[in-house]
Amino acid sequence: MLRPILRALVSTVLPTAAPAHEYWLEPSSYSAAAGDTLVVRAFVGTGFRGELKPYAPTRVVRLELHGRDERDLAGSALNGDLAFARFVLPDERGAVVAYQSNFAAIEMESAKFDEYLVAEGLDAAHAERTRRGATGPARELYARCCKTWVAGNEVSRVQRVLGLRHEIVLLGDPLRDARLRVRVLFDGKPLAGALVRAWRATGAHRAAARDSVGPEAEVRTGPDGTASLDVHLSGEWLLSTVHMLPSSLRHADWESFWASFTFERPAAATLPPPKRRP
Amino acid sequence: MHARRRSMVRLAVVIAMNFAAPHVARAHDEPYSFVDVHLETQVLRGQVVAHVEDLAHELGLAAPDSLRQAASLERALPRVHEVLERLLRLSNDGTPVQPRWTSYELVPERQLVRLNWESAFARPPAVIELRGPLFTYDKAHETYFNVHAEGAVVHQDLLDVGRTSSSWATGKVQSRIAVVVRFIREGIHHIFIGPDHILFIVGLMLCGGRVRRLLQIVTGFTVAHSVTLALAALGILRPPARWVESTIALSIIYVGAHNLLRRQHGTDRRALIAAGFGFVHGFGFANVLGDVGLPRQALAWALGAFNVGVEVGQACIVLAAAPLLALVHARKPLAGKAVVTAGSALVIAAGAYWFVQRALLS
Repeated sequence: MLRPILRALVSTVLPTAAPAHEYWLEPSSYSAAAGDTLVVRAFVGTGFRGELKPYAPTRVVRLELHGRDERDLAGSALNGDLAFARFVLPDERGAVVAYQSNFAAIEMESAKFDEYLVAEGLDAAHAERTRRGATGPARELYARCCKTWVAGNEVSRVQRVLGLRHEIVLLGDPLRDARLRVRVLFDGKPLAGALVRAWRATGAHRAAARDSVGPEAEVRTGPDGTASLDVHLSGEWLLSTVHMLPSSLRHADWESFWASFTFERPAAATLPPPKRRP
Repeated sequence: MHARRRSMVRLAVVIAMNFAAPHVARAHDEPYSFVDVHLETQVLRGQVVAHVEDLAHELGLAAPDSLRQAASLERALPRVHEVLERLLRLSNDGTPVQPRWTSYELVPERQLVRLNWESAFARPPAVIELRGPLFTYDKAHETYFNVHAEGAVVHQDLLDVGRTSSSWATGKVQSRIAVVVRFIREGIHHIFIGPDHILFIVGLMLCGGRVRRLLQIVTGFTVAHSVTLALAALGILRPPARWVESTIALSIIYVGAHNLLRRQHGTDRRALIAAGFGFVHGFGFANVLGDVGLPRQALAWALGAFNVGVEVGQACIVLAAAPLLALVHARKPLAGKAVVTAGSALVIAAGAYWFVQRALLS
């Protein structure tokens, strides 16, 4: 009972203090016919509300379309373009656009960095900083690992492991399952204890102030890296998780990897809420 | 149950943080700007696109939105030009470009101002360089930098807090010279700011030896690190940085231990050690070179020049340390032995510190 009240307080009365920003891909349409041209853009923000992020080829490690076949989308946009890629959908069976960036650097003062670790549920990194007695500014390198699903009837396409450094892999059908199972992988291995959040955007949400909407669900992955999230409502969904490791590079203290997955459940896909597990 | 409790605690902490330090989300949380340069026959033309909030900050305006109104922007234009002339660190063959502002336009839906400029040049530029990002007051700021020539985009880059310089070389002779000079400097700089590389080389020289032997050591190191530096810089082989940095620390421990354990008249294997570990140090150099950024139009020249710079840096160390060590070993053999023992112990201690820091604490 107390938890929804706390979240409501955080969500509506107080803007969040977390300085960290999610990063996600958004196609011009989450479902399209074969031969349609789609545009994929990237957003960065909090509470699933964000600003367009221009394309930077120097940041791209991978930008690919995985559908009937695999297609490299890197290089189809110019530096500074608001569209990351334009492509013609080869069929209607569904396709995933995947993006992995290289590292960007950021430096944060110690207290702010600790706040951010707590807010993002990065308990291991926070404990490690406490153990080290770190008090100086934290130098972080962060990389983005995003996927988005242009829906189709071949669900196995959305469930493929694409080999991103940090990856949210769907184990179910995002349009049909009220409780969606996912597996979080890091370097190809299941990641236990990762905090996975599910955010939902609707028309009302889009009009809401930035940082004013909390996640619909959040859960830690189990020992096998899996977690189940309640996504029974219609709307645009963002699943996100972040993993942080101490850096061995001279010019950084920490390396973080931000995984996200976006999809849309049309209004007809709204289901009754899943039964609560004992 | 525990997970649920931790989740509750996290929410409570977020609330407490909000009370303690309320954070108002800014309208411009993803700060970026654009600098485009078009190389034409006798003139550079370009655009600077900046967000009104960044311009307002530099102008000391309390209400950034006022710049979204044409009349306000018109009034502020001379000061906007002044600000951008100060912040736009664009150079043509090392000479700062002096923009002559020609026109401007508002992009109100994105809260951006686009300012067009041109700058005539006496001779065709060889290297166009932008230092940035444009607005440094905000550490999150990024500047998208594009160079256009003959109707095509010939250079695309992104400047941020971790990458503060980007240059495009036209590929002509003078541009190559500029690239070579710059990367020789980078190589020298890297040797002098990297105490681990210095300690590795000095450690190998502690036991002294003839000039020929010292040359073999330095050459072995050079050849080996050149190979792996090239492999990594060209993206052919890139081992994990943690592995590389930890092994570099181990190489230093090994050198110290080798000095202490080697027999007086045994075979001198230092050139072999230098070459063996030189392969790993090369990957370390490549990590730094990755940060600097290699110009694609003059990749081989930049790589070669960086190597030359590293050699010059090493040569400086060898020329400073070798005669002193040789003098001590020749005049006072006992003191020479003491230098080897104490120096090697110091080398081992430093290597062990770096190894623990890089392999175990990371």
